[in-house]
Amino acid sequence: MDFNPCMKHQVVRKTVREFAENEIGPHAASLDREGRFPTEIIEKMGPLNYFGLQVPPSLGGAGLDTISYAIVIEELSRVCAALGLCVSVHNSVGLYPILRFGTDEQIARFVPDMAAGKHIGAFCLTEANAGSDAGGVETVAIKTDDGYTINGTKIFVTNGGVCDVVLVFAVDAGSQGPSRSNVFIVEKKCPGFSVGEIEDLCGMRANPVSSLFFENCRIPETNLLGKPGQGLKIGLTALDTGRIGIAAQALGIAQAAFEAALSYAKERRQFNSPLTKFQTIQNYLADMATSIESSRLLLYRAAAAKDKGGDFGAQSAMAKLSCSATARTVTDLAVQIHGGYGYSREYDVERYFREAKVTQIYEGTSEVQKMVIARHLITRPS
Amino acid sequence: MENNTLDIIVCIKQVPMVSELPWNSKTGTLKRELAQGMMDPASRLALEAGLRLQRAGQLEDRRIRVTALTMGPPMAEEVLHQAVSLGADHGVLLTDRKMAGADTNLTSFILGRYIRMFKPDTGLVLCGAQTSDSETAQVGPQLACELDFPAIGWASDIRLTQRTLVVTRLVDDFMETLEMDLPGLVTIELGAFVPRYAGLAGVAQAFASPKIDVVDADRLELDRDFNALKDSPTRILDVFSPATQKESRVLKGAAKTVVDKLFTDYGKIISSAMGKDLKKK
Amino acid sequence: MSKNSTGKDIWVLGDYRNYFKNRVTLQILARARALAEKTGGRVCGVVFGHDVGGYTGEYIAHGADRVYVIDHPRLKSYGIETFTNLLIRLARDMNPDIILIGATRFGQEVAPRVAKQLDTGLTADCIDLEIDDKGRLVQIAPSFGGNLIARILTPKARPQMATVRPGTFHELPHDNTAKGEVVTLDLPEDLPAERVRCTHSEYRPAKTLGIEKADIVITGGRGMGSKGKFKKLFDLAGLLNAEVGATRPVVHAGWVGHEALVGQAGKHIRPKVLFSFGISGAIQHTAALMDADFIVAVNKNPDATMMKLADVAIVADANQVCSGIIRALKEKIRD
Repeated sequence: MDFNPCMKHQVVRKTVREFAENEIGPHAASLDREGRFPTEIIEKMGPLNYFGLQVPPSLGGAGLDTISYAIVIEELSRVCAALGLCVSVHNSVGLYPILRFGTDEQIARFVPDMAAGKHIGAFCLTEANAGSDAGGVETVAIKTDDGYTINGTKIFVTNGGVCDVVLVFAVDAGSQGPSRSNVFIVEKKCPGFSVGEIEDLCGMRANPVSSLFFENCRIPETNLLGKPGQGLKIGLTALDTGRIGIAAQALGIAQAAFEAALSYAKERRQFNSPLTKFQTIQNYLADMATSIESSRLLLYRAAAAKDKGGDFGAQSAMAKLSCSATARTVTDLAVQIHGGYGYSREYDVERYFREAKVTQIYEGTSEVQKMVIARHLITRPS
Repeated sequence: MENNTLDIIVCIKQVPMVSELPWNSKTGTLKRELAQGMMDPASRLALEAGLRLQRAGQLEDRRIRVTALTMGPPMAEEVLHQAVSLGADHGVLLTDRKMAGADTNLTSFILGRYIRMFKPDTGLVLCGAQTSDSETAQVGPQLACELDFPAIGWASDIRLTQRTLVVTRLVDDFMETLEMDLPGLVTIELGAFVPRYAGLAGVAQAFASPKIDVVDADRLELDRDFNALKDSPTRILDVFSPATQKESRVLKGAAKTVVDKLFTDYGKIISSAMGKDLKKK
Repeated sequence: MSKNSTGKDIWVLGDYRNYFKNRVTLQILARARALAEKTGGRVCGVVFGHDVGGYTGEYIAHGADRVYVIDHPRLKSYGIETFTNLLIRLARDMNPDIILIGATRFGQEVAPRVAKQLDTGLTADCIDLEIDDKGRLVQIAPSFGGNLIARILTPKARPQMATVRPGTFHELPHDNTAKGEVVTLDLPEDLPAERVRCTHSEYRPAKTLGIEKADIVITGGRGMGSKGKFKKLFDLAGLLNAEVGATRPVVHAGWVGHEALVGQAGKHIRPKVLFSFGISGAIQHTAALMDADFIVAVNKNPDATMMKLADVAIVADANQVCSGIIRALKEKIRD
């Protein structure tokens, strides 16, 4: 067991960090303040393969392993979590299910433009009455002669305001049980598809999270992803992968908050000493660092497990549970160490603090992660 | 050398990451993060210059191969992977304990020896004008001497015609256009180009099929008792911290008094930063 | 060894291009003079060029005992290979103990080549030069990214070589009565052709570098008093060839544009000298200037954080000190 990052992963990290610090960092605070999605930055990221992280090079992607994928999201989120979110969601739940479950024709039709960042992907499951409980989904898809007609409203769709391709989780009105759900690939141009208002959120404000409306939205038969009735399986697979991305995002936020707190604590003086001389602050810093390191190990282990194949659901759930909790506690302490300044918009830790919370909510709440972990523990043959 | 092929060697150096530069001027301590390396920014521009020539060559159906060459500890291999990620065709790491501690004279000797032994058809050598860590600006010109290549320093732009290299530079307040026939050596000034970012596909590719050659002292047929540290003509006597020498000095009194004191005691520092010699009185 | 040589001489390469701006040769001659007092050698200028008689006299008036001159139409403009070749031949012939070269771009190209071909060491950008008790040149230069200062020797190889940045040393006063010897040498006939051809050259004086690269930065805070008084910093900047930066309150007050903001949210500066006027030193500001080599802070409050960070803390009214420095500089800058 080697716990040292290999040279490849170091180079991936440095490559992303350099881009993120130079091209995104200077704008992160103002993007958050203005709630603006930076198309100009996305256009720079496309040719650098950020939107096809695990897509094979033959389809225009980077062909990275999953640890590298996690590192990319972590480093982007360390600088701008809203963009980390965009890239994570696009890659893990927008694009990956098409690669995994799509027909050759679907892959050829959707993947190259998505991998190039020309088309942004999204995934929508959550509705007014369905979130953690996928069984409550009310968006219906009715089979017609030449395709499907979808009706329903999805809410809190990450990338919703800018997505070109969205995977829609819908049920077949006529049937019952888990096999009544399907995932459809809906394109922006499909008739009956429209985007709602951009949500006014606590954090991740540069990401155009929105509702999506499907009003007699007609899509061709060739846009059904996977086999009929495979919806739940596709959805759960997507979420297993998505969790790694969100865990990485949470870790990136925590890392940024920790670095800010550490550097502030070294510089800020009270009672004629830098804050780092005070044991209370030392304890905070030690707790923060330990929490980050342990979460990071869980995350990379889950990522490695995904590449090995087999079931990594429980591991990715543990990683997400741990990383998002770390993000919460670390950003909280980072604000505390900054004192009044930490509560001010002038300081980045205020943004990190707002951003961290949602990592415990989306891509499965922490409570759902515990369900997944517990189910794994209980059903696993002993 | 085939007429339609040009081999470019770009010398790059791994330097400590500046953002982590481990010096606290007040406490006078060096910190461990020195180990965190990055590609020297000027070297990065030399590589960029090479990659632009490579691209221009493709348009003219000219095969231009770019080899990134570095000398350093084994971990310096990382900058070669970065170079390949960015588009270099190959990377070469010269590494051996015997090479450690080389000054610019011996560094240029070792680099030159590699090029003469393994890349005798090299048409162009590119270096950063000065690296961010030592800033001597010496290795480039000395390597040119070693290879007996004509050389131009501080280039802000380079253009390649069939056998001639045209270089633009701004030095000592003169904007110059210079030409030389190849083979030759050019050092690239900071700010000459905006370097490209590595794409992640390039990074994955660089590791999928590694193109790094590692060369030690034996392969360079260096003398058995070669020792760069011992053989370097200069020797560091000692190193001290500028800050620990002096305390924060407090000046009090009327404006005229403190200004006079400032110039009497620190005028030299100010004049040096201005690049002007101030009158004493 | 030539009979002209004592093996103790200190040579200074005459870098006369841009003479009225570039006085580095005169500055180094002054230091060489002091070093020669200890080694017992002569201070020798070395001049290559055409119609360069004026410079030989100038070098003697500024401390040279002897000036070697090669004056020839072929040397009308600086040629890197030619000048390098000539200096190497001369050095091999005369065996100087020390060669000092100004760290202009040209000097930075010549010096390493000469050192390489003479197989000797070279220390770049020395901030000081001394002679130790064994008569050896101690080359004092920043190292490790300017974070440390190293004292460097060239124990065996000769000559000992160093480059020196303009502005490091003070030139001696021009002395009309100084006596010196001018040794005129012929251009060697077998001088190889210059392989680098200059096809165009145009004088283009440098514009400002911008605050992030500026060698001198002047920052002001609310302690300057008012928008009108803050403008004084720009007068000072003009004299020092410096850039002006500001704290957040000043930017917010509209005394100066946002581009001048020095701080975590603004520009990060790394000047050689920072003048900080009326700034208390909020962390977001000071974090962006910790790379400054030398800080002069002016504040009425001696306990202000900025004063603790300073190398020189002047307890006084920022405005008055600013005016005082402007007055002093107007007297001190040579035109």
